[in-house]
Amino acid sequence: MSMKYGTGRRWWLIALLFMSLPAAAAGFQAQDSIPAPALVARDLAGVERTLADYRGKVVLLNFWATWCPPCRREMPSMERLRVKMQGRPLEILALDSVEPVEDVKAFLEIMELGFPILLDPEGVNTKRWKVFGLPTSFLLDAQGRIRYTLSGPVEWDEGEALQIIESLLAELPDQRKASGSAPKP
Amino acid sequence: MFMTGLFRARLWMCHGLLAMLLLTFGMTGSFGKAAAALPDDQRYPASGERLLLWVSSEHGRDPLEASAAESLSAAGVAVWSLDPSNSYFLPQLPRSMDAVPVQDVVDWVRAAQATGKEVSVYAVARSAVPVLRALATLDPAERSALCVILIYPNLYRVAEPLAEPDYLELGSLDGAVIRVLQPRRSAATPWLPGLVATLQLSGATVSTVMLENLRERFWARQTPTEYEIAEGRRLDVLLLREMEACR
Repeated sequence: MSMKYGTGRRWWLIALLFMSLPAAAAGFQAQDSIPAPALVARDLAGVERTLADYRGKVVLLNFWATWCPPCRREMPSMERLRVKMQGRPLEILALDSVEPVEDVKAFLEIMELGFPILLDPEGVNTKRWKVFGLPTSFLLDAQGRIRYTLSGPVEWDEGEALQIIESLLAELPDQRKASGSAPKP
Repeated sequence: MFMTGLFRARLWMCHGLLAMLLLTFGMTGSFGKAAAALPDDQRYPASGERLLLWVSSEHGRDPLEASAAESLSAAGVAVWSLDPSNSYFLPQLPRSMDAVPVQDVVDWVRAAQATGKEVSVYAVARSAVPVLRALATLDPAERSALCVILIYPNLYRVAEPLAEPDYLELGSLDGAVIRVLQPRRSAATPWLPGLVATLQLSGATVSTVMLENLRERFWARQTPTEYEIAEGRRLDVLLLREMEACR
């Protein structure tokens, strides 16, 4: 009897271990609500953007470059996430790290993306946010605090990434988490 | 009594042998050092005055690197090519390079200098770590006689988002002359000034060369650009130029 109980408990532990695997797979690092460093970057239209423009929304800030294959691979999932989350208070920002704007424009002719692309030609923001590898992503809550970091690519519209984003959206007051009534930049 | 005497004599002989062994190892260094042969390298001989010690990255020796070594050899530059992952049976991970025995690299550099040729050392990515640690172990005169070329060296102890970069402690590099080659299309490019400052703080004289329109390991990319393919085939030219610049 005790053997049976022991075996059952072991299987339960193994099942728990497998259930926890997807959470460990992507490698998201939970942060202790760190205040975000300043972000000042121009978009492709030349308009200066700061994080204050997106206050009240959950923000996915992704550092990338056109020459980085893993960055290019995860971009379509970011676009699918944008479409999936339309009307909800989530802002996806892709900050191109230390590249000429011509390279970015050439890339966007191949891959159509509906979220804002910000430019960091001198790497000022890249250094301020201490980004050492690409892609690196930050998930910010509606108060502009950093809640998660991720080094490396992920499929943003599924699995752990989507769960985390949903959990940050769930922290918002009811009328905002569904309708996305946060102020537009 | 006789048996006891014989036993004592044998005991003394054993002690004597042991003492001789200890003395021998004491004169040549530790047991570990004596056991550490020169690293298992691939040699490309040449009759010229220059010898390049080439340390591949954690990814191992790429066929294009071997081809460049052959070209250098044909141009009169001898090459001793070390593939640390293969030689030391290490996983192909950056941190594996930290496990390369530094004394082996020191002995390797000294063996190269003993040929009487003008010696340069070229290290790729994280293999810069054992090379720089070996450099710190050399005598200042041995160190300053070398030309050291590092391409996108990875010297981080820790590099986590939102935290200041933390570099490895390498020891004194007083008198070392180091050229850092940095492909522009790399996440490490904005951090180059910090890396240079770290090497300078260790006492090295550092110069940098930005390799435009290239990515790290451009000679072995899965999806290379046409320019990367062309430059990958000209690695020998790049290294000849950088060895010249060290003079």
